[in-house]
Amino acid sequence: MPLQHSSARTWQRTVLLAGVVVLLVSLVVAIILASVLTRGKQEISPKMLKWKDRGTTRNLQEVILGRCYSYVTARHPELGDKDCLKIWESLKHAFIYKNPCNITTEDYQPLMELASHPIPCNKSLFWSKTNDLVHRYTKSNHNFLTLEDTLLGYMADRVSWCGDPAVPGINYESCPKRSECESNPSSVFWKMASKMFAEAACGVVQVMLNGSIEAGAFRSSSIFGSIEISNLNPDKVSAVQIWLMHDIGGPQSESCSGHSIKRLKGILEERNFKITCEDNYRPVQLLQCVNNPDHADCRLCSSNTETP
Amino acid sequence: MNSLFLSLLLVSLLFMKSFSEGQGKKWKGEGTTQNLESIVIGRCYEYTIIVNPSVGEKNCSALWEAFKNAFIKKDPCNILPTDYELFINLSLHTIPPNKSLFWENNQLLVSRFADKTRRYMSLADTLFGFFGDLLNWCGQANSTGLDYDSCPTTEECENNAVESFWRMASMTYAQHSSGVIHVLLNGSAEGGAYPVKGFFADFEIPNLQKDKISEVVIWVVDDLEGPDRDSCGIHTVEILENRLKNLGHNVTCTDNYKSVIFLLCVDHPDHSKCAFSSSAPAAQRGPISSDRRGSWSKLMFVTFVGFLFRSALVY
Repeated sequence: MPLQHSSARTWQRTVLLAGVVVLLVSLVVAIILASVLTRGKQEISPKMLKWKDRGTTRNLQEVILGRCYSYVTARHPELGDKDCLKIWESLKHAFIYKNPCNITTEDYQPLMELASHPIPCNKSLFWSKTNDLVHRYTKSNHNFLTLEDTLLGYMADRVSWCGDPAVPGINYESCPKRSECESNPSSVFWKMASKMFAEAACGVVQVMLNGSIEAGAFRSSSIFGSIEISNLNPDKVSAVQIWLMHDIGGPQSESCSGHSIKRLKGILEERNFKITCEDNYRPVQLLQCVNNPDHADCRLCSSNTETP
Repeated sequence: MNSLFLSLLLVSLLFMKSFSEGQGKKWKGEGTTQNLESIVIGRCYEYTIIVNPSVGEKNCSALWEAFKNAFIKKDPCNILPTDYELFINLSLHTIPPNKSLFWENNQLLVSRFADKTRRYMSLADTLFGFFGDLLNWCGQANSTGLDYDSCPTTEECENNAVESFWRMASMTYAQHSSGVIHVLLNGSAEGGAYPVKGFFADFEIPNLQKDKISEVVIWVVDDLEGPDRDSCGIHTVEILENRLKNLGHNVTCTDNYKSVIFLLCVDHPDHSKCAFSSSAPAAQRGPISSDRRGSWSKLMFVTFVGFLFRSALVY
């Protein structure tokens, strides 16, 4: 009888042991599976913040570097000492891995210092609501420079960027609009760059405004109205010339005697700037006529020998 | 004795330096543009992402490799247009019909007039043209490096890297042009508006596809200051018109096309050819000047009212 009892107990012990081993093994497998799956999940959804505006431009680095070298090498060889790689790195570090609603002027300070360059007197051309026209003008006429014709503006024009705390630190899907948060990478950049562009202006400065928009040619809420005017230095800038352009065949919502221009004049005169205003500055109007050669506003005196 | 020796050594060193400097440059032309690789790769992305995204994604690194392999480690005087075949195949894209703009002797004007594909798509507004526009490059026979010191001019040898690039690009551009094609010529150019030997004559016209082209529009525009050396129907323009007609094309020609004149006038607004006729609104300069348009129409209105009133009185 004792022999039978001991073999039954051994059997029970074996079964128990086997059960424990199976339990342990399945526990280990479960732990391994869980960690693999969650890691995989992290890779698939980086949990980047979602915004309403377009994301960082693809291949931003290549575009920025190419533009920097183009500008320095081909267009302005006198800026040959600019280190384009350093400039790119300073731009990247301004926003990478940062919450795109928390960008400060300090973030951009190194970039601004590396990329800024002096602007010759009497050449600064400001603008508001005339983006297309003003840049077609400066492409033809190199006597004037808009912000987008300086190295900083040239690199940043028409591209966008923003970061995110999650890997890889750059958000290519979306970036915050100004309405979502003011301290976003784009708004802070352009505000800073505009401020510096205004501070650097000297001599006679020009501003191209749009006399065909209902909201008025001059608006205090525009970058020109809110940042650039107040950063013009009265010790360096002697006069402000306003070019008030109307669309060819477009509405003449405002002219040089209009309300918003009077308001602008008041603001500038208070700071001791001399102001002149010209409706439809001829060289720019001629440029507008390229697209409207047969319009009544574009009739030339000289008889053109056009054979149909 | 020592000082004499030292002076002689110094003089001979200086002589050797100036001698070697004079002999230093291999070719007469400027060397490869600095940072060429970064510039062209940047341009490739710039074009495909910003300038003309309709061309879709292109592998810009592959484009650079294909471009580079056309001329590196080769005799810089033995680069053929066909060496760029892979580059062209990788960078080719549709040229919209009616947008092609050919030209001679007015490169900057054409660039402004085309307005980065918005008005027209000149060769420099295609991806392959945009890639190399206003840049310079060449390689060396015994090294994989680019020659930044000097490059052969076309006078030194025709089959150089840059010349062959533009020949290949021009042929491709012509082959893929369709609809109404335009050619802008300089009526003030010495030797005539249509160079009988040139890119347009030798590489573009022969590659125009007659079955894809509906019309060839020629614009002959003189410099504002002139001289008026050439015009439609005479001299070299006549030669061009006849050549195109013989090839079976419909040809029209216009002298001093207005749109282009306006563009020339932007830099010379006070030129007599740029004066607006009296009925066009004149600009008024001055310290916040008064409204300009109203006066003439106000006068007419007042006169009309006066006439009505008088007629009423008479009646």
